[in-house]
Amino acid sequence: MNSKHIQLIGVTKNFGKNTVVNNISFEIADNEFFVLLGPSGCGKSTTLRMIAGLEDISEGKIISNGVDITEEDPKDRNMAFVFQNYALYPHMDVRKNLSYSLKLKKVEKSKINQKIEWVSNLLKINELLDRKPSQLSGGQRQRVALGRSLVREPNAFLLDEPLSNLDAQLRVEMRQELTLLQKDLSKTFIYVTHDQVEAMTMASRICIMNHGEVLQIGKPQEVYDKPNSIFVAKFLANPVNNILKSKIIKKDDSLWIESLNIFINNQNLNNLSEIYFSIRPENLKLNNHDQSYNFEVKIIQIENHGHELLISAQLEFDKQVIYFRTTKDKSFMIGEKIKLYFHIKDLLFFDMITERIIT
Amino acid sequence: MSKIHFYDRRFGYLFVSPAVIILSIVILAPITIAIITSFYDYTLINRTLDSFVGLRNYFESVSNEKFIHSAIVTIVFVILVVLFEFIIGFLIAILLNQVERFRNIYYFILLIPLLINPIVVGLIWRMFLHPQLGILNYLISLVGIDPINWLGDPQNAFITIIFVDIWHQVSFMIILLLAGLASIPEEPYEAARVDGANAFQQFRDITLPYMRPVIIITLLIRLIFALKTYDLIYIMTKGGPGDATDLISYYIYRSAFIGLDLGQAASMSVILLLIVCLIIYPLFKFMNRADE
Repeated sequence: MNSKHIQLIGVTKNFGKNTVVNNISFEIADNEFFVLLGPSGCGKSTTLRMIAGLEDISEGKIISNGVDITEEDPKDRNMAFVFQNYALYPHMDVRKNLSYSLKLKKVEKSKINQKIEWVSNLLKINELLDRKPSQLSGGQRQRVALGRSLVREPNAFLLDEPLSNLDAQLRVEMRQELTLLQKDLSKTFIYVTHDQVEAMTMASRICIMNHGEVLQIGKPQEVYDKPNSIFVAKFLANPVNNILKSKIIKKDDSLWIESLNIFINNQNLNNLSEIYFSIRPENLKLNNHDQSYNFEVKIIQIENHGHELLISAQLEFDKQVIYFRTTKDKSFMIGEKIKLYFHIKDLLFFDMITERIIT
Repeated sequence: MSKIHFYDRRFGYLFVSPAVIILSIVILAPITIAIITSFYDYTLINRTLDSFVGLRNYFESVSNEKFIHSAIVTIVFVILVVLFEFIIGFLIAILLNQVERFRNIYYFILLIPLLINPIVVGLIWRMFLHPQLGILNYLISLVGIDPINWLGDPQNAFITIIFVDIWHQVSFMIILLLAGLASIPEEPYEAARVDGANAFQQFRDITLPYMRPVIIITLLIRLIFALKTYDLIYIMTKGGPGDATDLISYYIYRSAFIGLDLGQAASMSVILLLIVCLIIYPLFKFMNRADE
């Protein structure tokens, strides 16, 4: 990791008696695309707003490039903020929206025009400069909001669910554009979203939050493959992950996972009698692989997603529902009994009480 | 126009007809009669004795020094009253907009003056301001200030009337402006804070543009109402001392019912009506535009 750019140390936010962000700490490196991911109300937006200075901090510190900025005004932090609903100035045309911050800083007129030209070329909004925000589409407003943050040439961009008001098609396009933009600018992006696809596709690192606490931070693939808790395993799943329960019974040297009716060797499970386990739908195969385990299920529903089938099935042993995905050329019958194969590395175990992973 | 459309229309007319009929009787008819009267030398004895004088009443009105005087007094009164009510009202509205606790209680307290009949307001203030018995002179005597003849001195009386009107009407401004302020979203302010705007710049570049329609409508409504201020004068000063507080509505009233020159008074009323219409016109246009 490069030099530390932004550090949060024990940051807490209370609204009255409610603690919405509870003692979180993390570091964001220079030029990182850092995504704060979590369900609504998890404190991710509040965290972002605290970094921007729009929200006071109840406890803790925020450090930027080695300087404590906890008490600094938003304008002195050299960070730009992109709002979920764009927050454009409705009575100013696009040009004025873009140049407002520069005018306040008393930047020369020629320089302002230069920057506006650069930004409007970059974001392809040249034609819109004389329009009012009310005459723009959602996607265009989004671009203007981005442009407004770009002209300031900040050290960091803070984006609060910037794509959530766009339609699905546009979201995919903007996702790619934002990723490219971040690479071009080589600036730190801190991006808040509840959409795990956005997080997976754009982030260099993901920070998953819930109930005001940080659950896990890591590269997208790491977090996806090795979720540290049931919450993360469930949240990073498109569309679903299999989280099931099973009793464990010790037999000779190995452990019997009752629900799947398989025997495994895992020292860490020795003292437990019941666990949660997860296995992603795409890791369940119809064919035998090397060293693979298998269990039997009965198909109860078939969802055709066009490019693939998502099939729900019941475990032979205790009728828990498990999902698996397969190519659309396969054909199944409801009620059909089949065998599902998987690799032991894809089977994760979680503690019943802490809901944390058992490694 | 299709047939159903036509029936729909007729049905609509049916619904508005009661209001239209009543308004015609209580407003349109008196106005029409006033306009007709303004062209006559009205005798009060018998209508057949009235003589048609054309625009003579109007010429006399506009060359009448007393009428001109009360017009000037009214203009100064309206400008001062509306200006101060707006400034004070806006300041209080901005302060109240930041209050979260007990907001409804403040609202209620503010509404009280508006709920009091102007006649009652006048009576209350006449008692407060009484030179010998009023509480105001008593209070200022406690800090060693000599009693002030609030309504007896021409200059004092004009300022006092303006003060009482502000006391009575400022809540109207506060409540309308507060409603406008409350409807401004939070995000543009946050964006401006990140962009580096200070409190004044935020006010100038966000609050004022957002508030423009509310401000225009509030000012115009208050302007029209201030123009026809009558009750306060009637109760507190009767236009005096001398003609210091002789606002136009009160002067017209005196011409009609004390001077008994009804034709003349009617012509002055019509002039006032035309002025009010002139002010209403932009308001009307603005509200129609806001509808679109």
